[in-house]
This record gives sequence, structure tokens and C-alpha cells, in this order.
Amino acid sequence: MHGMPEGGVGQTAAAAMRPLLALESLGKRFGNLQALKDVALEFRAGEVHCLLGENGAGKSTLCNLIFGVYRPDEGVMRFAGKEWAPSGPAEALDSGIAMVHQHFSLVPRMTVVENLMLGQSRGILKRRQFAAMIRATAERFGFTLDPEAVVGELSVGERQRTEIVKCLMREPRLLVLDEPTAVLPPGEIGALLDICRRVADSGRAVILVTHKLAEIAKVADRVSVLRGGQVVAKAEMASADMGALVRAMVGREVKSLDVALAEAAGRTETRAGGDEKAPHALVCDGLGVRDRHGATRLDNFTLEIRAGEIVGLAGVEGNGQSELGMVLAGLLRPSAGRFFIGDTDLTAAGAAAVTAAGGGIVPEDRHAVACVTGMSVAENMYLNKLGQFTRFGLLRRKALNEAARGLMRNFDVRAAGPEAAFSGLSGGNQQKAVLARELTLSPLKALVAAQPTRGLDINAVEAVYRQIRAAANRGAGVLLISSELDELIAVADRIVVLYRGRLVGERPARASERGAIGALMSGQAA
Amino acid sequence: MEETLAIFIASTLRLAMPLILAASGELVSERAGVLNLSLEGMMLTAAFFGALGSWATGNPVLGICCAVIAALAVATVQALLSVHLRANQLVVGIGFNILALGATTLLYRIIFGGLSREEIPGLPKLDIPGLSDLPFIGTAFLQQSVFVYVGLAFVGLIWLMLRYTAFGLAVRAVGDEPRSADKAGIPVLRVRYLAILITGFMAGLAGSFLSIADINTFTENMTNGAGYLALAGVIFGGWNIGRTIGACLLFGAATALQFQLPAMGINVPTAFLLMLPYLLALLAVAGVVGRLEPPTALTLPFQRGK
Repeated sequence: MHGMPEGGVGQTAAAAMRPLLALESLGKRFGNLQALKDVALEFRAGEVHCLLGENGAGKSTLCNLIFGVYRPDEGVMRFAGKEWAPSGPAEALDSGIAMVHQHFSLVPRMTVVENLMLGQSRGILKRRQFAAMIRATAERFGFTLDPEAVVGELSVGERQRTEIVKCLMREPRLLVLDEPTAVLPPGEIGALLDICRRVADSGRAVILVTHKLAEIAKVADRVSVLRGGQVVAKAEMASADMGALVRAMVGREVKSLDVALAEAAGRTETRAGGDEKAPHALVCDGLGVRDRHGATRLDNFTLEIRAGEIVGLAGVEGNGQSELGMVLAGLLRPSAGRFFIGDTDLTAAGAAAVTAAGGGIVPEDRHAVACVTGMSVAENMYLNKLGQFTRFGLLRRKALNEAARGLMRNFDVRAAGPEAAFSGLSGGNQQKAVLARELTLSPLKALVAAQPTRGLDINAVEAVYRQIRAAANRGAGVLLISSELDELIAVADRIVVLYRGRLVGERPARASERGAIGALMSGQAA
Repeated sequence: MEETLAIFIASTLRLAMPLILAASGELVSERAGVLNLSLEGMMLTAAFFGALGSWATGNPVLGICCAVIAALAVATVQALLSVHLRANQLVVGIGFNILALGATTLLYRIIFGGLSREEIPGLPKLDIPGLSDLPFIGTAFLQQSVFVYVGLAFVGLIWLMLRYTAFGLAVRAVGDEPRSADKAGIPVLRVRYLAILITGFMAGLAGSFLSIADINTFTENMTNGAGYLALAGVIFGGWNIGRTIGACLLFGAATALQFQLPAMGINVPTAFLLMLPYLLALLAVAGVVGRLEPPTALTLPFQRGK
């Protein structure tokens, strides 16, 4: 049914000594970006090898090279002693390399067994036979999976196990898991690691990609740290100094989202952040949100932000940030609690009222919510104040374009001109235009920015940070929602942590608090 | 009374049959993510070429073959436009329907002339000695055109295909999550193409049923919205074949009432009865009766990496 790799999985002691997969001075560039440089690594059968690195360190690129999605520009790979230059993922699968991607490729409305039969059977379906194979595979690696369950009704952990079984049924010799813990609630991580251990113990090599070392420390045999596309540390887990590995991962000389950016963003230590006597800018009082299935997404969220203060909201994605952002934008009615901008209660007032009350909103999904990509740059930059440019109901286009030109200069929005199509702008320029619109509300009392630098290049990131800080200096209270802890540390005055819809703690925004905040984000401390 | 009921059942089945054939074919396409608004046009084209083929050869079976070939030709162009060229499926469908109405009317007038009502060779009715003469069962179920039973066999095949074959699984996957299906090695475009051809085949049967099995003649615009009713049946049926057939039977029953009520001496305005199936369809599509989720990728063209 599917190709069993030659030689099977059984390993002799001698074979285990030789690496199953060896990478020799591997390099890969995308345009100007050197994604990987001179990477030399070995992965052995029977071992769980942890690939550690921050976002953008090159982990995913490396996995995609191994899995045949990309081809290396330099260097060679050797798999099971032979040169490995896969033509694509199909060849990787046939040769015994399987990968669990961060984003699952399952059909939610089909059952587990139907998902696994997809592309694996011909003619008449052998449903019962497949179901038995699924049960047997799951049992072999120490977990259970109901083949008749509908995937859409499974928990994230169960869906991931479905993906893992899909891989394991091909009897791979190398299993790659890309950020498998990122999507899991903490309770399910242990189960995943047990499975990884058993897969390795059955004589396969496992590559675990992560940026959270602490989570996987107990299962890894070996750790390699990637930073800026290069291997900066390698260690046997048994003798590893965890602190040294983490320092290697976040080393300061690398130009990434880092504390260094705080200085670039104009931050000074003297800034006390939040004058005790300053008036309230944004107040959330016991906000709660239930989704349409009745599950609580946001629970009794209470937070006061004073004028001139930047509060960072940290949390692993999916812990209620999106819902909070929607509520504060006036797009979602909370099921409990109230919120105020200044003294105005805006709980059920809607988006227009939020804008009128001086609430600037930079939404998480800027394409869907923040802009009309089919319209011009000028129209988008004044979308919420087009009234200023109308006379007798007609738009005074010249005045609009003139005003937009000024705003584009101030916020460094690079476009052919105010009449250019918004859709033609780069992500960074689009985001700067949205920021420009929201920050020029007058008066601007509060700014809620959700994931404002997602997908932006480093220069755009710096510009966004600068503008957010400038807004705070002018007296706006800022709520910065981000899943990037470094971003929050760089920009915010204090950081509150959201976990499963609840505020679980508050820490000062200092690099030294990174560990404590990380622990709060993973629900380890309450 | 019993005799009236038996006749009512028989005419419901006869009137619902083209809807059942067309809807079960359309169901396959929609499960694969393609909406063929052109179903009406496919049926009309098939009805015309079925009549033409049967009239020219004198053989109704050859007529049905002509109908199926004509409908498959329309389906091929529909597939080319909506799958490969990623044209808007609704616009393509509407265009086809207008084209089919114009073309069949023109050809009909050229070939059959003005207002002739040429009788064309049709298919025989089922006659199983003994059984077909049974008092209730025989009248209600066993005196239909042979076409009805052959058509039902094809509907059964579609049900088996969707439920028990790898192709059926692929159809459902490309209609819901084409990207995941693509990653699993399913040729998304080919599966959709084949699904549309199945729709074309069934629409061919449905169209020729009208002109060969039911009335034995072609009239201008003789489908008269049957294709749209079949589309409504698929939605009413929640993209489930059993429920879709049920919806088509309901529409058929509503149509049958037009003939039955006056015959029973019940005085209802004919105009209201003419409206009834369409009114039911409207209520059904509006979700008055338990709305179900359509295939996630319905009407969305697939392009790898986009």
C-alpha cells in the first residue's frame, strides 16, 4: 500500500552509530535573506534531536530542505549513507522521511479513518482494515485514537495524533515535527513527548523543532541551536547547560526582535511608564466572552491602562487575545463586563463609537478588518474620517490626496502616491498606513494594537515600535497584544499574561523577566 | 380513494424522476466543490438532443445516448471554465442557461418547424405480468416507464460511489479542504473535472427523461426551471443523497397536486399550485427547514499555493 523503506526500521548497534541523516555545510538563501548558512548537523536513529531557535532562525527552512520542499543552494545531505537530494515531499515520503507540519492538513468533516485513507487507497475503500491499522499503530506507540471520530470534533492534541499516525503508518525512518508544542495546551504536551520517545525507541530518528526548550528538555537526547541561519551550539542533553543553550538561542548580536530594539525604538530607562496620577485611558472591567458553542474564551478580564502607559498583553495564541481585540474594537459584544475609553462606556456601542471616543484600533487581521485593499492609499488612510473631506455629500478628492501625502511623509508610507492601489503596498507599508490612520485620531485616548508587526521586515518593525511609543508619549494609553515576548519586552512598560482567557499575572517589561513571563504563558504558575 | 392515492404516488414518482436524476448528479459536483448553475441548460440541451436523436433514428435508446453526449459536451466546457480557468461558477452557469435556451429554441424551429408537436418514439412502460397489475402497489410503483428503474439504478450507483469508493472519498475531500487533499496526493482538478462529468451524465439522463420518457415530444424551454428545482433539492437535502431524493420527491408531489386536486374536485387556483414547488424550494433554500452546512470549498476554484 505504501513503500516500506528498504532495510526496515530495525537497527543494529553499528548502524545506530552512523548518522541516519547528515547535513554538510548546507546553505539556502531567499533573495537577499541568507536563511541558512554553513549548517552541519547529524541526526541518529533512536534519538530525539531537538532543533532549537527563535522565530526566523531558520528551523522551518531546514526542515523544508530535509523534506524536499526546497532545494539547498550549497552543501549536501546524506540520508542512510546515500546522497539525499529529494525532488519533492513525495520522494521524501517514499524514502522514509515523514513530517508533521505545524498546520494540519486534515479534512475536518471527515472521520479519522477517512482522512487516513485519503490518497492511500484505490477502488473500494477498506474501511475496517484501515481502522484496525490505525488502532494498532496508535497502540504500538502508547496512545489511543478513535478511527470513527469526526476530525472536526477532536481536540487539537487528538488532531495532532491523527497527523502523527498518518506519518507513522508509512513506517518512516525519520520523523520531523515542526513546532508540535506550539498548538498544544500544556496538558497535552507530555503525551506528545511520550509518543516521540517511543517513536525514537523503535529505532527511528525524531527531529523536534521548537523555540521552547524547557518543554521538551526531558525527552531530547541531543540539542542543536540555530540562530540567524547558523548552528551556534550543539549539546548532548544529558550534559547540557540549559542556561547556556537559551543564551545561545537569543544572543544579542543577532539582529532579531530583541531587547536591542527597545533602544532603537527610543526607549529610555528613565521613562517610568504610567504616571500614577494620569487619568485612565482604557479600562476593562470583568470582560467575558463565550463562543457560539458556549465555551468561555475570555473570563473576567480586568485591566486599567493609564494615559501615557504601554501595557503588553502576552500569551500563546488562542488564549483569548483575539476575542479581547474584537471586543475592544467594537466588533464583538462581550457576554459579561464593560469597557471604557476615557470615561465613555463603549461596551455595546460598536466600532464607529469606539473611533469617535478616541479609540485607535490596529486589528490582528489587517487584510480582513483594517483596510479595503481595492481602494487607494489615501482613501484607506482617511477611511474613518472621510467626512472631513466631503462637501454637500461629495468627496473632495484633491484635499484628501493632499492630506494623505502629508501623512505618508510623516509615517514613511512608501507608495507611488496617494492614489496608488492599497493592495500594491508591501505588508510593512500597509501596516504603517493603518497605524497612521489610527494614530492621527484626535483626540487619541487609547490605542489597541494586535500583532502589529506580524510579517513585517525589521525596518518596518522599528518604525511601528517608534510610532507606538510616540503615541504613548503624546498621552495615549496603549494595549499591545502580541505573541512575541521580545516585542512586548522591547516596547511595553509592563506585561500582563493571558492564559486560557484569564489574566494570570503581571511582570515588569524587562529582559530578565523573560523566564517568569514564559512560565506564566505556559500556565505553569498562576 | 385508494386508487387516487396510487395514481398520486405514481405521478409524484414520474414528475420527481428528472429532478432526482439531475440532483443526484449535481450532488457529486457540489460535494467536490463545484456548483453547476448550468444544470438547467444541460437538461434542456439533453432534452432537445434526446428528442432529436430519438426522432431521427427512431430508437429511443439512441436518443438517450445523444442526450447524454450533448450534456457531457456542455459539462466539459463548464469544467474547463470553472475548474481549469477558474471562472466564476455562477456567471458561467447563468451564461450556459441563456445560451441553451436560445440554441435549443432556434434548432427546434429550424428542424421541427414552427409549432409542430411531432410525436417522438418513447420508451415502453414496465409491464411485469401479474405484478404490474397488483391493485395498489402495481399502479403506484410498477407501471412506470422503464427509464425510471434504470435511472434509479444509476442513483444507487452514485450513492455507493460516494460512500464506499476511494473516488467518493476524494470527491468529498476536494470539496471541503482541497489543500489538504492536494497534500494527500489527490489530483484536485482531475477529481473535480470527473465530478462535473458525472453531473453532465446524470443531467443528460434527466433531460432525455423529460422528452423521451415523459411527454414524448420537445417543446421550447421544456425544462421550465426543473434544473433550478434540482439545485434547490441538493441544498434542501443538505448535500446528503437520501435527503436530496426526499426533497425532489416533495417537489414532485407538489407538482402532482396540480393535476390531482382538480381531478378530485377540490377547487384551488391553478396559479397557486403552479407556484407551489417553487415556493417550497424557496423556503427550503432559505433554511426554514433545518439548514445544513455546504461543502466548505463550494464555488471556490482551487489553485496550488494560493
